[in-house]
Amino acid sequence: MAFDVRLKINDKVATIELKGELDASTAGEFHDTVGRAAGAGAVELVIHAEQLGYLSSAGLRSLVFARQKMGDEVRIAIVGATDPVAQTIRLAGFDHSIELVDA
Amino acid sequence: MTFDFEATGAGRAAGVAQVPECGRTDALSVPATIESLEPVTAFVLRLGKKARLPETSLYRLRLAADELATNIVLHGYRGEPGEITVDGGIDPGDVWVRFQDDAPAFDPRQGMQQPALDVPLAQRQIGGLGVFLAFTAVDTFEYELVAGRNVSTLVMRRPTAD
Repeated sequence: MAFDVRLKINDKVATIELKGELDASTAGEFHDTVGRAAGAGAVELVIHAEQLGYLSSAGLRSLVFARQKMGDEVRIAIVGATDPVAQTIRLAGFDHSIELVDA
Repeated sequence: MTFDFEATGAGRAAGVAQVPECGRTDALSVPATIESLEPVTAFVLRLGKKARLPETSLYRLRLAADELATNIVLHGYRGEPGEITVDGGIDPGDVWVRFQDDAPAFDPRQGMQQPALDVPLAQRQIGGLGVFLAFTAVDTFEYELVAGRNVSTLVMRRPTAD
């Protein structure tokens, strides 16, 4: 599945829709999108991952970047991650800082 | 040690010819670049599908192979030109994928770090995360230095046949 990332900002809530595979070849694009969300002063970041088919450590690193870039007070949630993607996030212990929410 | 794919395949296949796809081996050689991760993934997915791995096992094998290949490109060759050879096969009980490279000797497991779960994400040192994922994703992760080459083998168990 081709990678696609879309950003919407509505009343300080940034919503990112991820599609396809987040790995070493696509993480940069996601990184840039997170940067734009942070730059727009969003106070909440919601990442829709229903159609995210694959997440590697490169993708996890861009989640760390998101956490650092958005600042501690910003809630970051990942919505609707499939089992293997959610499992990867939990294995790395990222679910302590980023909320995993069912769709 | 030499790598004689035919002989290895025939040896592994002996007596198990009735199991579909068993004893079969495939190989792929790619330059050590980020662009090569895609053909490596395609190779592993094709092999895993032939072995009829369940979706979750297939996902984990792919993740491990992707992380290992990324590690060889970024931390093995460090931007120097080089080659990665990948081969793999299907046995009655498992699927294996082997990576060989001529980067300086390095056991990827040495760079592995358990995630520091008690440290807030924003302060996390996340080096070694890829190898940690690779190591935990598969059933066996072996490393050997063979005649100066790094050889890492990933093994994933196949579901038992009915």
